[in-house]
Amino acid sequence: MAGADSPSAALRRRDLCARGIRLAGKMRSDVVDLLDAYVEQQGLDASASVAAVEGVPPAAVERWDEQTGTQRLLENLAAYRAFRGLLAQMLEEQREQLGEADAALGRALAAVLLQVSAFAYHLEELLRLESRGPPSDEGDGPPPQPQSVFEQKLRGLGVLRELAQWAVRSARDLRQLAKPGPGAGSAPSPAESP
Amino acid sequence: MWKNSSLRCLLALAILCLRSSVHSQEIGSLGHPQNLKCVTHNLHKMICTWDVSPRRKHGQTDFCYAANDLPTPVCFKTKEKRVEIPVPHSSSTVTITTNSISGTALATKEFKIHKKDILFIPVAPRVLSLTPDFSTSTLNLKWSDNGSVFPDGLDAVWQIQILRKETVEKVTQVTYHSKLTHEDIILSWNWTSDIPLECASHYVKIRCYINVTQFVGLKEWSDWSPVEVILGKDTDPSESGVFPLDTVVAVGSDVTFCCIHEEGQNITNMSYGSKPYPMIQLSSRSHAIRVLNASASDSSGTNVVCRLNNGMMEGTVLFVGYAPDIPQNLSCETPNFQIIKCSWKPGRPSGLYGKRRTMYSLFERMSGKNVSCEVNEMNRQHVCGFPVLPDQKTYDFILGVSNPIGQAESSLLVDITQRVHPKTPEKLTVSENNSTSIHLHWFINGSFAEIRLLCQIEITSGHSEQKLHNVSMPGGKSSAYTAHLNALHPYTKYQFRVRCSAADHFWRWSDWSRVEEYTTSEAPPARGPDIWRERSSSGESLKIFWKPLPLSEANGRITSHEVSCYLLETPLEHKVVTEPTNSTEIKLGKNDCVISVVAKNQAGSSPPSRITSMELPSDNIITGQAMAMGNGINVSWDSYPNMTCGYVVKWCRSSGSEPCSVDWQKFPSNTTNAVIKSALFKPGVRYNFSVYGCKSTGYQLLKNITGYMKELPPKSAPNFTVEETSSDSILVRWEDIPIEECRGFLKGYLLSFAKGEKDALKPRLSESGNPELKVNNITNLTQKSMKILDLQGKTSYQLELQAYTAGGLSPPNSLYVVTKEDSVGLIIAILIPVAVVVLLGVVASIFCYRKREWIKETFYPEIPNPENSKALQFQRNICEGNKTLKTLEMNPCTPNSVEVVETQSAAPKIEDTEMMSPAADTTVPEDGSDSEMENHVVVSYCPPIIEEEISNPPTDEPGGSSQVVYIDIQSMYQPQIKSEEEPEIDVVTTAGYKPQMQLSVNAMNTESRSPVEEELDKTAGYRPQANTNAWNMDTPDSPGSVESNNENASFGSPCSINSRQFLLPPRDDEDSPKPINIGWSFTHFFQNKPND
Repeated sequence: MAGADSPSAALRRRDLCARGIRLAGKMRSDVVDLLDAYVEQQGLDASASVAAVEGVPPAAVERWDEQTGTQRLLENLAAYRAFRGLLAQMLEEQREQLGEADAALGRALAAVLLQVSAFAYHLEELLRLESRGPPSDEGDGPPPQPQSVFEQKLRGLGVLRELAQWAVRSARDLRQLAKPGPGAGSAPSPAESP
Repeated sequence: MWKNSSLRCLLALAILCLRSSVHSQEIGSLGHPQNLKCVTHNLHKMICTWDVSPRRKHGQTDFCYAANDLPTPVCFKTKEKRVEIPVPHSSSTVTITTNSISGTALATKEFKIHKKDILFIPVAPRVLSLTPDFSTSTLNLKWSDNGSVFPDGLDAVWQIQILRKETVEKVTQVTYHSKLTHEDIILSWNWTSDIPLECASHYVKIRCYINVTQFVGLKEWSDWSPVEVILGKDTDPSESGVFPLDTVVAVGSDVTFCCIHEEGQNITNMSYGSKPYPMIQLSSRSHAIRVLNASASDSSGTNVVCRLNNGMMEGTVLFVGYAPDIPQNLSCETPNFQIIKCSWKPGRPSGLYGKRRTMYSLFERMSGKNVSCEVNEMNRQHVCGFPVLPDQKTYDFILGVSNPIGQAESSLLVDITQRVHPKTPEKLTVSENNSTSIHLHWFINGSFAEIRLLCQIEITSGHSEQKLHNVSMPGGKSSAYTAHLNALHPYTKYQFRVRCSAADHFWRWSDWSRVEEYTTSEAPPARGPDIWRERSSSGESLKIFWKPLPLSEANGRITSHEVSCYLLETPLEHKVVTEPTNSTEIKLGKNDCVISVVAKNQAGSSPPSRITSMELPSDNIITGQAMAMGNGINVSWDSYPNMTCGYVVKWCRSSGSEPCSVDWQKFPSNTTNAVIKSALFKPGVRYNFSVYGCKSTGYQLLKNITGYMKELPPKSAPNFTVEETSSDSILVRWEDIPIEECRGFLKGYLLSFAKGEKDALKPRLSESGNPELKVNNITNLTQKSMKILDLQGKTSYQLELQAYTAGGLSPPNSLYVVTKEDSVGLIIAILIPVAVVVLLGVVASIFCYRKREWIKETFYPEIPNPENSKALQFQRNICEGNKTLKTLEMNPCTPNSVEVVETQSAAPKIEDTEMMSPAADTTVPEDGSDSEMENHVVVSYCPPIIEEEISNPPTDEPGGSSQVVYIDIQSMYQPQIKSEEEPEIDVVTTAGYKPQMQLSVNAMNTESRSPVEEELDKTAGYRPQANTNAWNMDTPDSPGSVESNNENASFGSPCSINSRQFLLPPRDDEDSPKPINIGWSFTHFFQNKPND
């Protein structure tokens, strides 16, 4: 993969990874804040168990340490593309249900959506650097809209929770990727496992 | 057998009668057609049925019926026992013939059918549809009234039954009334369930009753229609969830929620918001909770959550809000005749947002046009636009408001030509005509061709008040407007802004346009400058002054002044003085001329100002005082009729030693006083004014005036000295205060004096409050000295001198003077006492001489009485013998033991501690018969501290004689005199230090000190030699000392530290006669006198 990297490409990859890690950190922080605001505003129980969000690959994965850098990037990209669609849907639902009533939550949601889009673009850049290029963003179309408002609320909670976990995983994936040489795909120490 | 046949006959007869009673006539004897019944469903046809008895096979039946309205009977054959024939008007005769299979008549029977025997039963209604509305839990039932078969106007009654759940429990039964119109009408009825329709299956059936009043027969309810069902979600195995789904209800509603779960699961709990509710089982898969009086929900609704035992949860959201308020203050206006803007206040917020928010629509009745309004729910004021329709001035608006809970409306009829609120004027520009006239242009977006506009122009300039100028003009279509403004001031910076409204029907002003600034161009100065002239002291030159023209008259920036000097139209001198100089000097010598000054700016020159250099002579110029006004100086002068062209008041702006900076002010001829104001005037500074009168020939000095803007107290007091002093008078003299220190017109001096020694800390006389203070007010300013009389000789006096003005008193100057001694008075003061003493001596000598026998007998008898000898009092001092009482020395003194044997029967006077001691009290019998042992006391004896007491015997014991009791002072602390009740005294005895005096036992008893405090005192290593509480503060010989209640005076008196001798006399017991006490006191008094 990156074994035959030129020094400039390696430098560029390290730079992109470092910026991506910072972006993921900021995103994680904002999503956690948004999650608190969302739970409070929607009157939900923060400890409520929510079914897995359809269309998003789970952040927790077995044999994470055996994944190659490209695999990591592809999984991340798939996840963030799914998040982009889901967050856009959440934003639309928010506008439909609340109108101008809670503009602050809408702004926070839009800000996170922007970060997710930026991060997806960042991942695409990294994939291009891997001489692979990002897969086309055709996808399966937008996920089915929940039937009831309650389902919308629960799915929103699930999306934000999963996104918060993905932000952590992405930071670790990028840290792994930033390691020089073929070691980029090597196993991390147990403490670093997501 | 007969009997049987008779019985049969009777039976047959009875049957016959019975037959006839049912209005049918049987023809033939065999039991054939019978029980004819007729039922109608539509009042036109009836269905008649009958039985054939006995039942046997038969062929066709001939059926004939005849009625009054039928010309001939109608007959037909039928195989059934049921026919449909018309309902007769009144009655009908029916003949039924039963034939055998072969066709022979078996039996014929005739029935008479009356109308009242016909039964009317409507056909069972048929439900056309039963439609559920799950969002509102409402069932809609539709059916046909089948009215076409009935006459018009019949009343129909419908009974509808609702049943629920698998057990088909009856929930409700309602009655619905309608009127038949001889047409088939589809009737509709709604029913709202108290539980969501999804929660359980609901069943509906209906029947009817038609009240045909003209039908005389029996009427009955129809049969029930077939049951219609709306199945609950619990019947569908794949369904689960909480219902109703995302509904909206009004605040205060009661709402039932049900949770439908899959088979095999259980519900852990159900909650509304955060509160769990008790569950009601509807079916095996459906449970419900009932929420009463729901309160307004949050913007995101209230969650209803159903938690299942597998950890999952189902839920729904309930939105609780308010129906919309009636819109308030609906008002419509047009800003441009293109759109009508209607605004209103929404009232109470509905609490519903997003797609459940309150929707507004504006409907115009005349045109029938309707527009929906997009409003922001968060705004307090809502606005909606409606297009202006061509050729329509009057609009009848209905503002409709609705949300899922309810709706409201508000209406307004408005003529938009009377509701014009133009938009803000834009593009305001200025074009100038000349220095005093401009054109103002602006633009208003809108089509105002149908009305006139009234525009208001606000004109603001630096040196005049804000002005409003109204201008009316015909309106145009998105056009520019122009207004002409004149009477402006040249070279002035103006600020303009414009607003407009409808001229004919004022409604509202538009907002102000932005401010446009414009400065008008310059014009020649309006007048010449104000000028003055002063000849130099040498008289050789003339200095000309002028004042700068005010901006309103300069009409531009003054660049220079031209000064010319003319003598009979001949110019002597011409000067151009550029700004900012405002004076110039011309060498005239002794000549005079007319000075002309012209101010110039870019636009031209001012008219000239002229003044002659000549000053008219004047005599007897008086100098007056001006009145200080605080903010100016009031200058006044007499009226001079010959001063035709007014007066000039001239003064120096500067003060004191500064060079004079000339200022002046002109006044018309009728003025005789003026308040001269200047920012340069300072309080307390004297200014000199000159008043000139103006004649055609020149100016003449009329009066000089001095004055202050504000008088202040003099800065310093006048210096004064004492010129002369005698034993009863002082002559003081003072100097003038310098003018600059007066700070006002001097009104006088205050000379104060009082007795007093020189003391730096002493306050001023005026502030001391000394009652002997005398003040002399000297208002004669020419007086420079004053003699103070009636003083005391050889006495120190404090003198103070202050000057004062209208502004107040100066600080004082002080002096201390001692008057001389009055020798005559001193001599008199010595001589009179001496003379009195001598006179008293002579009188005493004469008295003694004349009473010498009595004196001898009394004081020096032949046999002396020791009691009367004071000298013997000191014999009691054993150690000292005859020595006079003096401070005792602490020489070693061997204590002697003196045994005193009490022989007197009267109780001896026991001193102090013993007396006070309860133990001692018990040793003294009240009857006075003391035992010898008790009175036989052996005491340690120390001569210097012996306390002796000569007690007069009580008056009730005349036989008693004086006793001498010796008490060792130390023995007063002996344990034997202590009572058991006073254990603290023991502590005293154990203390290392013993005081030289006895504390009063009584005092100790009565003192409020706690035993603990006493303990502390006693255990202390040191104890003071005196109990200050016990000391008698009165003088020994004062009556108070005798009469006071201090019982411990004897040992409470302070002792000498060196001698153990009491420095103050012990006090007698109160019972002791006073003379004795006085005698002792006198002796002691002389002893202690040196110590004083």
